[in-house]
Amino acid sequence: MKFLRHLTAVVLVVAVIVGLGLLWAHASGGTGIDNGLRQAPSREAVARMRQIKAGVIRVRSDNGFNLADTGDLIQTCMIEAVLAAVVITVSTVRRRHRRLRRTAAAKS
Amino acid sequence: MNAAPRTSLPAPPVTASRRRILARTRLDFWLDALLLVAYTLAYSLGFTGVATHEWLGIGLGLALLVHLTLHWDWVIRTTGKLFGRGGRERFVWLVNLLLLLTMTLCIASGILISEVALPQLGITVTASSFWRQMHDTTATLTLILVPVHAALRWRWIVGVARRLAAWRPGRSR
Repeated sequence: MKFLRHLTAVVLVVAVIVGLGLLWAHASGGTGIDNGLRQAPSREAVARMRQIKAGVIRVRSDNGFNLADTGDLIQTCMIEAVLAAVVITVSTVRRRHRRLRRTAAAKS
Repeated sequence: MNAAPRTSLPAPPVTASRRRILARTRLDFWLDALLLVAYTLAYSLGFTGVATHEWLGIGLGLALLVHLTLHWDWVIRTTGKLFGRGGRERFVWLVNLLLLLTMTLCIASGILISEVALPQLGITVTASSFWRQMHDTTATLTLILVPVHAALRWRWIVGVARRLAAWRPGRSR
């Protein structure tokens, strides 16, 4: 019962965030809803197409796992590991400083 | 070798409430680990391909609802005491709020620009550059916030991992 109550609250919060996103899209003119009118592709889309054609962005036609292409996965893991290491180091250093300060205060 | 003395006190009986807490800790740990692995895979588009990326993203969205529901008590407690808390707890709360916003928008925009998953379900949406850009920006932000979010609780992670490594069924650890 408690789980359902909390889940309802979470779904409401998520709905509010999505609603605000839709409002933002509407306000900026990019609703993403097909209104039947074909617009000219945006500058970003044209640039993306150029990058795909030039081979800067790789797009694969198949939709399964590509175990040979682990470059992306390794890059993601590296970024996550570096950021986590930075946070852990800062947290450890801060904790040590706090402990030293507390010890010094207790001695004096 | 030092043998354990025969006169040592027996381990205290595991109460039902303690057992529930242990089960909940295990659930939190494994769900969080699963979320981190799924997120890492979903972010690596070149590795997964579009279809797996999209289905993983949708699954991640549902799992995140459960994750947030399981920690809703923490959200209420911390939000209520936000101004009385120390700087660290306030920082954790802010990181979590930003992650909630960016992850929700990332998954929502991902659904709106879906090329495989939604058409497979018979739903077609015309992706706008707004949602595409939103997806790219929020995805980058989540890549910064997810490891920070996990690392801020590294003591808990290490503590539970140690206990789980030593845990045997039937033993109270």
